[in-house]
Amino acid sequence: MSHQSQPVLSVRGLTKSYGATSVLKGVDFSVARGEVHALLGGNGAGKSTMIRIITGLAAKDAGDIAFHDAAGNLLSEADGRSKVAVVHQELALLPHLTVAENIVLPQLTSGFGLFDRKRSWRLAHDALCLIDPEFADTSLHRLVGDLSLHQGQMVEIARALSFGAELLLLDEPTGNLTSAETQRLFDVLRRLTTENGLAVVFVSHRMKEIRQIANVCTIIRDGRTVVDCVATESLSDTAIVEKMGQITARQTENGSVSHVTAKNANTADDTLVIRDADMEVRLAPGTVLGVAGAPAGPLALISALVGAAKARRWMVARSGWPEAFTSPRQAARNGAGFITGDRAHKGILANLPIIDNVMASRRIVRGVWFTNSRERTECLDLVQSLKIKAASIWDLPDTLSGGTQQKLLLARWLGLPSRLLVLEEPTRGVDIGTKKEIYQLIRRMAASGTIIVWWSTENAELLEVCDRVVAFDTEGRCAGVVDKQDLSEDALANMTGMAA
Amino acid sequence: MTYAPETSSAKAGRELTTRQRESLLSAYRTEIAIAFAIALVALAVGSQVPQALSWGNFANITQAGAPLIIMSLGVLLVVITGGIDLSVGSVFSLTGMVTAQAMAQGLGGVGAALAGLSVGLVFGSINGFLVTVVGLAPFVVTLITFAVAGSLAFIVTNGRSMPIGDPDFWLLNSGSLVPGIPNYILFCLVLLIAIEFFLKKMVAGRWFYAVGSSSTAAYLLGIPVKRTKFMAYVASSLLASFSGLLTISYILNAESTAGSSLMLQAIAAVVIGGASLLGGTGTAVGAVLGALMITVIQNGVNLIGINSFWQGSVTGFAILVAVLIDRFGKSRRSRH
Repeated sequence: MSHQSQPVLSVRGLTKSYGATSVLKGVDFSVARGEVHALLGGNGAGKSTMIRIITGLAAKDAGDIAFHDAAGNLLSEADGRSKVAVVHQELALLPHLTVAENIVLPQLTSGFGLFDRKRSWRLAHDALCLIDPEFADTSLHRLVGDLSLHQGQMVEIARALSFGAELLLLDEPTGNLTSAETQRLFDVLRRLTTENGLAVVFVSHRMKEIRQIANVCTIIRDGRTVVDCVATESLSDTAIVEKMGQITARQTENGSVSHVTAKNANTADDTLVIRDADMEVRLAPGTVLGVAGAPAGPLALISALVGAAKARRWMVARSGWPEAFTSPRQAARNGAGFITGDRAHKGILANLPIIDNVMASRRIVRGVWFTNSRERTECLDLVQSLKIKAASIWDLPDTLSGGTQQKLLLARWLGLPSRLLVLEEPTRGVDIGTKKEIYQLIRRMAASGTIIVWWSTENAELLEVCDRVVAFDTEGRCAGVVDKQDLSEDALANMTGMAA
Repeated sequence: MTYAPETSSAKAGRELTTRQRESLLSAYRTEIAIAFAIALVALAVGSQVPQALSWGNFANITQAGAPLIIMSLGVLLVVITGGIDLSVGSVFSLTGMVTAQAMAQGLGGVGAALAGLSVGLVFGSINGFLVTVVGLAPFVVTLITFAVAGSLAFIVTNGRSMPIGDPDFWLLNSGSLVPGIPNYILFCLVLLIAIEFFLKKMVAGRWFYAVGSSSTAAYLLGIPVKRTKFMAYVASSLLASFSGLLTISYILNAESTAGSSLMLQAIAAVVIGGASLLGGTGTAVGAVLGALMITVIQNGVNLIGINSFWQGSVTGFAILVAVLIDRFGKSRRSRH
């Protein structure tokens, strides 16, 4: 089957406001069969809200949403919605059930409410075969909880296919994937769009991936469509960034992200030594150490650094510090900060207002007993300097977009005198403009003498920010330490075993 | 609840700098709503039985409600951290029995009261230890201590009820440490203000909410999660003990089953007061109002002369209304 340019979904003049805050001010968006359509926009531009309206999770204020079937006929909204499937970064799978059960459970209607095992296995197998026949043969009966994130995504896509989805919405699907897994996902998407005529909407902030996979893009800015269905090739990176409303001036500025070396007098004494059986890294104050590779290795190192797990393998030594931190609390009180990559589960305190979220680390480091008005001023300053769009510091964090929540986490350690700051994917889910801001902020903290340890699955980012990179292979073993002058994306890809 | 979108729109329009202070009206929206609901119930009862609105009946309600109010404040602390305390009723009963028995053995009023409070300290520590150090589920742990303390309450006197031996013991409840204010009101007020201040203004109090919101996030931040939970269970049991003391000082007799209906009422009070059993929310003002609501309903059912077996149904209905208000109030506030 070749590309068909029949629309699957067309959205016209969609508006939505929450109270007096209007999030969508007339968005147009249409997706055709057989295309991978990139949906771009800065944090808070309205992407998520639009997706929520399309899938029926939120009600629209005004505008038209039309779904069409393969023959081009208009479908009712309920029928249309049943052909749409969303795969979020956080997977919606049941970990205690098998792959097959996860795929077919939503549509099991066989007689008398009994589970028709054979038929359901066949259904699940058929759906998985469209994606990866080998995976279908080997993994049908494995528990979903044992799968990798990439495999979990495949299961979600298979589930969507098995109920006849014709439009797949992928919300930052590559956020937690290694480069190799990302490529495998892209292969599957390409095949499904060209061979099965599936339409895919792809939300991402990673320009390189958008170039690789998406043929068409729509850019939303501040609740309006600024670029409607334009071929991705026809737009340059700078044009896209500009359209998204991010300041391009900062781009040039970032080209020379100032690599200031700290001028601490007692640098010799203040070296941080990280060691395991295979390697040893010595970090002077002000160094930014990148950590590359699939999650296993970096996560073990990070939990050892911040005392989140017992450090069996790692030795961490620094003057004035105990041999190993026994808890994140001890680490924090010694000036070793940590910003988690799992914002939703391990980062944001969802029931507490912005002020408590932002001030948490300061309260611990300073050991204060009471909250006070000085704290409020400080929080306001932080919120404003990070350009966090919030009506009030007493609002709950879930009134903010994902990227803005990420800024809240950064604000916790920003400007606190710290000796070490460990970051897990601090730019995940963050738009390009904000990313550059975060690079600047981190660089500035390094310049004041803080050692930064930065894990990222985006190698380009490590090249841009780090003085040194320690790479881990897919087994979690250390593959080597590279200095800035020897760094290249190829070298990193080879060492981490995630070559495309 | 219709004013909710109005306030948020006003917020959005203004500059952030002008919003330094949280307005009391928006911080205590739920509590204000409950206060109105209590007034409504009281007026409804008053329209049937005019003396319900008399000063004397008001004194009755506060006197009868004081133990529940104090117990609810304790349960609230545990609920905010995301736990639950099922043992409060049993600790309440056991405290009464131990205190009465201690007096019967010749101990003075103060010594016997301290012996009673030690019941709360011991059971609170056991709950806290099993939840934080051993890592058992709060529901299971407090179900165990509920059963154990409940049976010990019978064992102390072999099931007999026990009169209070110290003739001055009534002063604890009905005396006036501050002239003009009976002690039971004084205790409720002091505890309410102290706990509300702790939760709102003290960093250790904010940690209660943080732990209940996400204990993993709190741990990684460096918040002392175990210490916070431990404190919550000890405080809960101590307050249950204290409310047991107030009760025997009022009726001057200790019974093994005195607290058996109180545990569910205290949890209900906390829920009516706007706390979520999932943790991370709730205020002391809300818990006290929730307890008052339950007491006003019980009092009203008695005054109107409805068969008292209906009390539970009416309370159940009140919980339903409270959580519905809370649920629809919240969905307006947040974007997602």
